[in-house]
Parts: sequence; C-alpha cells; structure tokens
Amino acid sequence: MKKLFILIILVGFCFSLASCTADQYSIEREYWRAQRLTDKIFKNPHASPPKELQAAVDKLQKFINKYPNNNLSLKAEFTIPRLFIVKEDYIRGRDYLTKLAAKYKTDKLIASEALYLFGNTYEIEGNWNEALRKYNLIIKDYPVTIRGLGMPIYIAEHYKVKNQTAQMNSAFNEAAIHYKVLAVRHPDTPLGLNAYSLAVRCYLELQDWINAVKTIDTIIVNYKDTVKIDTLFIDKARIYKDKLKDNDKAKESLQQLIKIYPESRFVNYSKKLLEELSGVSNKDE
Amino acid sequence: MSSQDSPVSLVKQSYVRSFQIFKSAPLVFIPFILFISFEYLSFIILSLAPRVPLVAVLGPPIRTLWGEKFLHYPFNFLLLPKIVSNARMGLTILIGSLLTGMAVAIIFDIYKNKHINLAKCFNVAIKKYLSLFTVVLIFTLGYYVFTKILTVSLAKYFVAGHERLLFLSAKVWIGPIFIILNFVVAVLLQALFIYAIPGIIIDNKNLFKAIGNSIVFFLKKFIATLILVGLPMLLYIPIIILNANKLFLINKFFPEFILFVVGISIIIGSLIIDPLIIMSTTLLYLGHKKSQDR
Repeated sequence: MKKLFILIILVGFCFSLASCTADQYSIEREYWRAQRLTDKIFKNPHASPPKELQAAVDKLQKFINKYPNNNLSLKAEFTIPRLFIVKEDYIRGRDYLTKLAAKYKTDKLIASEALYLFGNTYEIEGNWNEALRKYNLIIKDYPVTIRGLGMPIYIAEHYKVKNQTAQMNSAFNEAAIHYKVLAVRHPDTPLGLNAYSLAVRCYLELQDWINAVKTIDTIIVNYKDTVKIDTLFIDKARIYKDKLKDNDKAKESLQQLIKIYPESRFVNYSKKLLEELSGVSNKDE
Repeated sequence: MSSQDSPVSLVKQSYVRSFQIFKSAPLVFIPFILFISFEYLSFIILSLAPRVPLVAVLGPPIRTLWGEKFLHYPFNFLLLPKIVSNARMGLTILIGSLLTGMAVAIIFDIYKNKHINLAKCFNVAIKKYLSLFTVVLIFTLGYYVFTKILTVSLAKYFVAGHERLLFLSAKVWIGPIFIILNFVVAVLLQALFIYAIPGIIIDNKNLFKAIGNSIVFFLKKFIATLILVGLPMLLYIPIIILNANKLFLINKFFPEFILFVVGISIIIGSLIIDPLIIMSTTLLYLGHKKSQDR
C-alpha cells in the first residue's frame, strides 16, 4: 500500500515538473497576464493613470523582446499603439506604428494593418483628409491584402455615415471600378472572385441595378465551373424581380440555378419563387 | 414504530456512531485516501494536458471532442472541471468500486469489534470486484445518461424557439433547475444502489439479489436513507455553483483559481462526502440486520 502511495506521488511530481518548461502554453499565460494590464486601460482609458499605461507598455515590450518570433508578439506589437490611441496620445501611437511598419516592411499584411491604424489615429482626431491620404496609400501599395481590399468600401461607408451623398456615390463608383480592375488583373483566382463580389456590393449601394446584374453575369461566366456560386443566381433573380421588375429574366435566372446546381439547397426556394413569379405572370395576362 | 426507529433517530444514531468510528479508527479512511490519490493524479495529468509532453497524447482527444481553444490558456480552465469530473466517473467505476467494497469490509470488521486487517479487507473486495464494478457502473451510467438526456432535451427545446417551459425561462431551466434536478437524481440513484455494496460484501449476496435488496431496503428506510445520502451531498452545492460561474471566477480572480476549486471539490467529494455516506448507510444497514437477527 505504501509503495502504491509513493508511486502515485512520484508520478504526480514528475508530471508537475512539466509545468516548469517554457512551451507555447507558458507563453500564452505570460501574454494573458500582460493583456490583463491592458484590459484595464481599454475598459476605462480616461481614468487610468499614466503609470498604468507605462506599466502595460513595458510588460508588452518585455514580452515582445522575450518571444520575438511568437505569433502573440505580433498581437502585442499592435496592442501597444492601440493603447496610445485610446489614451489619445496620437504622437506616440504614430511613432510606434512608423517603427512597426519599418520593422515589417516586407510583410504586406502587417504593414497594411500598421498603416490602417496610422490612418485611424488621424480619423479619430478628426483629420479626415490626412486619414484619407493614408487609406489611399493602403489601396495603392497593398491592394491585395485583406485591409487593402476592404479600404475602398471603408472610405465610401465613411461618407455614407456622414450623409455626404455626393462623396459617397463617387467613392462607391471609384471602388467598383477599382474592384473590377483588380478582378481582371487576377483572373480565375479567389481574389478575382472576391473583387467582383465587392464590385457588386458597390453597385447595389449605388442602386445601379443594371451594372450589378452585369457584374454578377461576369462572375457566373468566369467562375461557375470552378466555384459554387448558386446564391448569385438568387441575388440576380431578386434584383430582376424587385428592382428591375423583369419577371422573365428573374425566372430565367432561377431556372439556370436549378439546371446548373440541381443539388443546391436553394433549389426548393427557387421552385417556390418560380411558382410565385408564374402566378404573377398569369394574373398580369 | 418506536421513537428509536424514527428516521431522525436512525440518522442521528448512524451519524453519532460514524463520527465515533472516524475518531477511534482512522484506518477506515485508507481506501478513501487511496482513491483521492488516484483522483489527484488524474487531476494533475488533466490540468497539464495542454502542456508538453502530455499535449501529444491528450491534445488530440480534447481537440476532437471539445475544440482546439481548450488547449490554450486560459480556456483550458473552462474545460478542466468537466474533464476531471468525467475522469472521476471512470475512476469511480474502475477503482472506486473496489475501494468502496474495501471500506465496507473495514466498517464491518470495526462493527464486529474485530482487528482491522487492511490486506484481508482488500482481498474480500477484490474477490467480489466484478459485482462491485457492475453496481457502480449501473449507478454511474444511469446518472450520466440522465444528465445527457436532460441537457440535450433542454437544449433542443429552447433552440427550437420555445421561450418558456412550465412558465419558466431558459435561463432558469439551464441554471438553477438543471442543478437541482441533477442533485435530486444523484441523491435518488445513489440511495437506490447504496445498500448493494454492503449486501455483496457483508451478506455475500450475488449482484442481482444485492441490487434488489438495496432497492427494498431503501424503500423501507426511505427518509433515513435520503437524509444520509442527501445531507452530506449538500456540501457539494457551493462547488456546483462555483463551477457554473467559471468564467466569472477567471475574470474576477485569475484562471488558476479553477485549480483551487477543482482541488477543493475533490477533497470535499472523496474525503468528506463519500466516507460519510458509506459509513452512515453501512451502519444503518448493519443496525437493521442486527435487529432482524435478534
């Protein structure tokens, strides 16, 4: 019995020793502790004293220096400027972001994020022109990054929120053209498909139904053999039915869906919509 | 029914005698200490599951059953009480059944004023391991199946769009009512099977006779048994409440606080509740047997 007890304690002790090793888990724990300091500031930036900000920045910096190649270090790198931004210390925030962009200049994804945050500092300050300059730089230099792709719509949405209709329309128009050019430059790729879809979104915002339908048709022609795009047929039918009042074209789109994707989960819905459209047509006759 | 046979009096007598034995013969704790050692070992191993080298073995099942995020800090602490509880179920069936048999054999020797021979008691239990194993398996599986059915039924009912069940909202059902129902079923199931182990160890009954006898004896001493089983289990309610608020505890204190909660729950469960229930119900069983023999 005694031997069994000793064996259990020994095994337990050996496993406990494992908690002393520096593995990914222990790095995560260290990051969580640093992040906890930052949470306090993010929750109540105005009430937190400057020394709290300094303590959080120091802790994050220490973490970055200790684990320079860890994914969490990158998160920490972006948390530091965000802390400066919520504390409205934009100059230090921009300084940090400039260094960050220089450090990761070969990594377009990170550089575009840094530039986006840089632009954010001006936007929060109320300097839209300077922010716009930075955002346009992202579109120009990093067009195929996630941030770069979203930027034209982000700009247009800004005008939409501010009720600046003329600027909004112009921004959505520019965005649609930008996306279509991108799509042409990257044919038969997920990026190309994504760019065309964003162009459709811009035309819908502009209520330019004809161009929206034309762009959907371009997607169908170019991608129907490689990607399942059954939802686009529904979108097209809805535009024809609700916006362009062309039930024949709507029916045609739904029939195409049923023919090309007989297994699609939208087939039943399409059939119902077809029945509805046929009913409307009969009444009209 | 004489006043000595009233449920309250039976409970009182069982508890008085139990505490006397705990004080005079602490050896009776040996099976429980052995069980808690295994439980703590499993607790240490499971709490280190996201870490090297254990992650290589325990990582894939955790990833498959619950998801990748539970292998990362601090989310692993959200899962820990659940997997420790599952491990306890497994340990209870495999080792707990044997050690409970051993504990009952020790209590029987003490009751008969015999010298306690741990090796002999262990041998008595090991000879009847298959029956002990089956009784605990039936009880544990019964409880597990009930909680699963209850969880799935409630989830399906409320996910289907119903806002209320018997005038109560989903929040009330999934919160306090779920905890109370679990508690009541745990007490009832344990009370139903609690006398099967003394039947197997003390009266050498076969499995089915022992279970049948246990149910009959439970119905005969319904109130006393419910109190003897349910009262110690009330000690576990604070732990259930703490477990239900893991996220709050992690945010309020620190993630490792969960280790403390699980550690305490093991001590309360295996070193207080289990010995008290087994000792008191076995003494009630022996007392009844003695009065019948007379």
